[in-house]
Amino acid sequence: MVPVSHVLALSVILFGLGAAGFIVRRNIITIFMCIELMLNAVNLAFIAFSRYLGDPDGQIFVFFVIVVAAAEAAMGLAIIIAVQRNRQTLSIDDLDSMKL
Amino acid sequence: MLEAYLPVLVHFLVVLALGLIILGLSAWVGVKRPSPEKLAPYECGMPPVGDARERFSISFYLVGMLFILFDVEVAFLFPWAVVYKSLKWPGFLEMFLYIAILLAGYLYIWKKGALDWSR
Amino acid sequence: MIAPLFYIFAGLAIVAALSVVLQRTPVYSALSLILVLCSLAVIYLLLGAQFLAVIQVIVYAGAIMVLFVFVIMLLNARQESPTDHSLFARRLGLPLLAVFLAEVIFVVVGHFSGTVFAAGATFDGGPGAVGGLLFRNYVLPFEVTSILILVAVMGAVVLAKKQL
Repeated sequence: MVPVSHVLALSVILFGLGAAGFIVRRNIITIFMCIELMLNAVNLAFIAFSRYLGDPDGQIFVFFVIVVAAAEAAMGLAIIIAVQRNRQTLSIDDLDSMKL
Repeated sequence: MLEAYLPVLVHFLVVLALGLIILGLSAWVGVKRPSPEKLAPYECGMPPVGDARERFSISFYLVGMLFILFDVEVAFLFPWAVVYKSLKWPGFLEMFLYIAILLAGYLYIWKKGALDWSR
Repeated sequence: MIAPLFYIFAGLAIVAALSVVLQRTPVYSALSLILVLCSLAVIYLLLGAQFLAVIQVIVYAGAIMVLFVFVIMLLNARQESPTDHSLFARRLGLPLLAVFLAEVIFVVVGHFSGTVFAAGATFDGGPGAVGGLLFRNYVLPFEVTSILILVAVMGAVVLAKKQL
């Protein structure tokens, strides 16, 4: 049997890695992938609590998070494509002006 | 409950072992006598031009997005199909409305010409 | 819940997540992220969320990551160059993150040390159970989801097709 704290610790570690990547990475696509990593860490916590409390609502919530993540990925990547078209760069260091 | 997934684990391990055995055996048993002709990408035909990491057409992205649309739809269809009989007509109407809304998105993409590969 | 499997796949997920963060080439990050998502699917299965484990593989690892890889190839994203400014991240970001993580781990260990999951699954987690709940109690969120996806698709087409 695995203690609840170990599953939650895994969730925290994954979230921390995602947040660290969000801070240190410079490529906008990698930053987006780090956001997905954080989303998944939170999903894991939801499922762990759903199992711990015996409440199935947590699983429904995760299902909706996955569906929203699909919409978010389609939209976010389209924005990245538009940014690359207009600025010819993917590095967020160069994306520092709001208007060309 | 988890015992039902034992075949999946066995399958996973067999696939992993098979891949390692094939790669390992061919590296260990195979004879390696490289020559410039053998190391060329194509033994006959044109020599390759440019980099393999070329930019792809945007059509791939649009098709991938369409794939997400229907993937999510199917993800909702699985649990619906299982409980369909107990839901009766309200369940049918729920899913009908859902598919109708997504169909509008599909028609939009079609009319917009995103599926037109030649453009 | 089978403990050895959990620890194997938890370790795999952490190593792959480290690889996501540390790789400088986006394609390698994307492939490592697929590994993270698949190991998480196994952990979902061990936690009794059978349907979500499959959905994780089908939708997340299957569809979303395919789109990521397409976009990386479409934009030809190479190795990123090291930053020349933005000292905020270097000087303050990581210490603040460490403080945050220490705090969360303190709370998690303080509250949940020693508690284990109940032996039998209290909730089935199969497609039937999830579907029954989803289509009876969560009908409105379900329908709103379709509009969300519709808007996302239209927005993505408008953004991507504008300057074709």
